[in-house]
Amino acid sequence: MDVAVTGLGLVTPGGIGVEASWDAITNGKPTAAIDPSLDGCPVRISSLVPGFDADELFGARRALRMDRVTQLAVAAVNEALQDAGLDPRTWDGARVAVVLGSGQGGITTLDEQYALFAERGAKAISPLLLPKHLINMVAGVVSIEFNAAGPSLVTATACASGTTAIGMARDLLILDRCDIAVAGGSEGRLTPLYMSGFAQMKALSRRHDDPAAASRPFDADRDGFVAGEGAGILILERIADAQARKARIRGLITGYGASSDALHITSPHPEGAGAQSAVLAALRDAGATPGDVAHINAHGTATRQNDLAESVMLERNFPHHPYVTSTKGVTGHLLGAAGAVEAAFTVLAVEQGITPPTANLQTLDSDIHLNVPTTAVSTPVPLALSNSFGFGGHNAVLAIAPP
Amino acid sequence: MYEELKQVLVTNLKVDREVIRPTATLEDIELDSLAIVELSLYLESELGISISSEEIFGRTSLGDLAGLLEQQSGNV
Repeated sequence: MDVAVTGLGLVTPGGIGVEASWDAITNGKPTAAIDPSLDGCPVRISSLVPGFDADELFGARRALRMDRVTQLAVAAVNEALQDAGLDPRTWDGARVAVVLGSGQGGITTLDEQYALFAERGAKAISPLLLPKHLINMVAGVVSIEFNAAGPSLVTATACASGTTAIGMARDLLILDRCDIAVAGGSEGRLTPLYMSGFAQMKALSRRHDDPAAASRPFDADRDGFVAGEGAGILILERIADAQARKARIRGLITGYGASSDALHITSPHPEGAGAQSAVLAALRDAGATPGDVAHINAHGTATRQNDLAESVMLERNFPHHPYVTSTKGVTGHLLGAAGAVEAAFTVLAVEQGITPPTANLQTLDSDIHLNVPTTAVSTPVPLALSNSFGFGGHNAVLAIAPP
Repeated sequence: MYEELKQVLVTNLKVDREVIRPTATLEDIELDSLAIVELSLYLESELGISISSEEIFGRTSLGDLAGLLEQQSGNV
């Protein structure tokens, strides 16, 4: 069953808002830079949302009670609801679900409070530690801010979280558990502790001498991902409901597939077996075949392992060489928000018939034989996939089509 | 002590300066039970005054609370 996307909201390193974010993507403008908050960490490169001022957006008192991960989500939901022409003051909130993905939850708060705990002991800890840090609070606060009183939850499948959220939200609509779903994902900037953890896994690019070129999916010289922050929101409705209220349908979520590698805590299956299951499940769900796919927004993190395993899987299943793009060349890897932000980019791709370039791709890895454009291509996209794979072996794939 | 209290409310709890008045209740300035615990922590860290959230909760207005803070700081 197809579900309509009637609103989009984006807060990404490319900019605040759908227009600024999509401009950065279609122009292939990288965002990675040296991050002074990471001084002393083995990796000091990140992609941050430029000029995000929560005090100005929400008022300082309201902003104080939200971790950055929630602030980014609330800002993106605001834009998505406006885009959808929905007003939370008048809607039937009991029929509105919130399903958001996050990898880490409110880690800025956790780190601040742990430092206080270490320095001054338990009695110095803020009572807002848990309400700001717990991973479910991203959805909880959105439900409060927007009077969304239907089911609300956070999906945590690491770097697949945003995709999982959209897939689960679509299921809720199909099951008639709600009439409107606010779906997507959010991730706040990584703290020195989290960055150090990823660095110790050797997952991050260390291109400190040229940070803008650090996130280079599928490139021969790629050396890891760049961690970023952001939020992406899709407003989903059943097509009949969207049509009944004369909403603008920007795209359709036509299929969802999920699987697990059931193999290793961090390494992908070398031939992408689990990923393939999710891809084929999404296509079956959409009533489509691999040959129908014209565009794939790859997981494409720019780690050696991911890009190789993903490309082997894509080459095997899509011998007709559809366009493949990794928008992470621009945004870096937004972790739990990545799948949501990339689903939004994929909706824009099918709506406008544009395959964006993969930024920083100079020389395609000689072991990778994919059709990856380095400048934007204007051509209709009748069916697209958006892939996300997370540590733990979580695989999630969405099939997205124009209305 | 009222000015010091006001300073903590504005700087640390980001309460809008305009709503802070000696006659305002904690409810008037929208401090819930979590915010009152925060206030007690900031009174300790910023003013060195040890006062529990339960004691703050019992005050009828900000002016009343400032009076209690005056007493407490006098006791130090």
